[in-house]
Amino acid sequence: MRTVRLTVYRFDPTSDERPRYASYEVPYRSGMTVLDSLLYVKEKLDHTLAIRYSCRMGICGSCGMTVNGLPRLACYTQVKEVGWRIKVEPLKNHPLVRDLVTDFTDFFRKYKSMRPWLIRTDAEEQENPTKQYTQSDAELERYIQFSYCISCGLCYAACPVVTALPEFPGPQALASLYRFLADTRDHGRRERLRIVDEAVGLWRCHFAGSCSQVCPKGVDPALAIQLLRREAMRG
Amino acid sequence: MRERNVMLVHYVSGIGILVFGAVHLFTVFFTKPLGETIWETTMLFEGHQFAVLEVYRNALLATSLWFLLLFTTIHALNGLRVIITELFPVPVVRTASKYVLFALGVFLMVYGTRTIIIAHMIG
Repeated sequence: MRTVRLTVYRFDPTSDERPRYASYEVPYRSGMTVLDSLLYVKEKLDHTLAIRYSCRMGICGSCGMTVNGLPRLACYTQVKEVGWRIKVEPLKNHPLVRDLVTDFTDFFRKYKSMRPWLIRTDAEEQENPTKQYTQSDAELERYIQFSYCISCGLCYAACPVVTALPEFPGPQALASLYRFLADTRDHGRRERLRIVDEAVGLWRCHFAGSCSQVCPKGVDPALAIQLLRREAMRG
Repeated sequence: MRERNVMLVHYVSGIGILVFGAVHLFTVFFTKPLGETIWETTMLFEGHQFAVLEVYRNALLATSLWFLLLFTTIHALNGLRVIITELFPVPVVRTASKYVLFALGVFLMVYGTRTIIIAHMIG
């Protein structure tokens, strides 16, 4: 039977002095994903391995990790796709909790600071709606791709600006802000632009484009940032 | 000043450098009617102690040089501000650098303007 050689980053900051890499041989089966192979390790070889996962089908965005140097969703990455020797490490730009588990607190704090919900100024209308809020296909098209984001943090891990400048909101937060800015039902345009029109905000993106390269859902955060800049210039 | 406006000025000054830099190079290297004199007096220094001043004699060229100085100063110093912002995530350094760069910009503009005016008068 063919086997997959997994080299996994292991580090527990509470007990280990320094990180190490552990190797495991996992029997391959057709259709096996990187997450499947890690779960095999956890069940059969080393139950102390810490990983985070939930849906196993690329929806929840929990199992983001660095696979052979690139940020990927482990459940979305076929072993066959990345080769028989696989190196698995935690996501970069996120503080480490243990082994392959990273802390998303800062990531979600930045996301929340973008106010990722519809801002309305007509409170009375919202309480007692008098009509339907319809959108044309063209209006929907303006933001629909950015609403596919599952907040997996891969773009954030791939962003070189976040690495150099940890205060930078990151591609996910900026793309989510644009998603609501471009929504015709939203009334928070000025407020949203004020959030990102800062010295360490929208303008610090260098358009490396790595965020768009690694997104498992096909979202293009670099495009969102470009469009956001255009909106910011218009004021 | 909002970052949007700062970056707008940055982009405009970049285009300004292209335009006035091209004017400057074009004048110096290619303009023959003016060029014969200007070229020889600026580039050939033999026997001309203040040969380069010939360029400043023309008020239009002197003005275009001033704009080149203005746009280069703005673009370069704002570029430095951005680099400092990205390299030093310390608010004190950022604030201090803003004032230092602003002072440097004022100095460069005052000194440069003075040089252009004097050169124009002498030339």
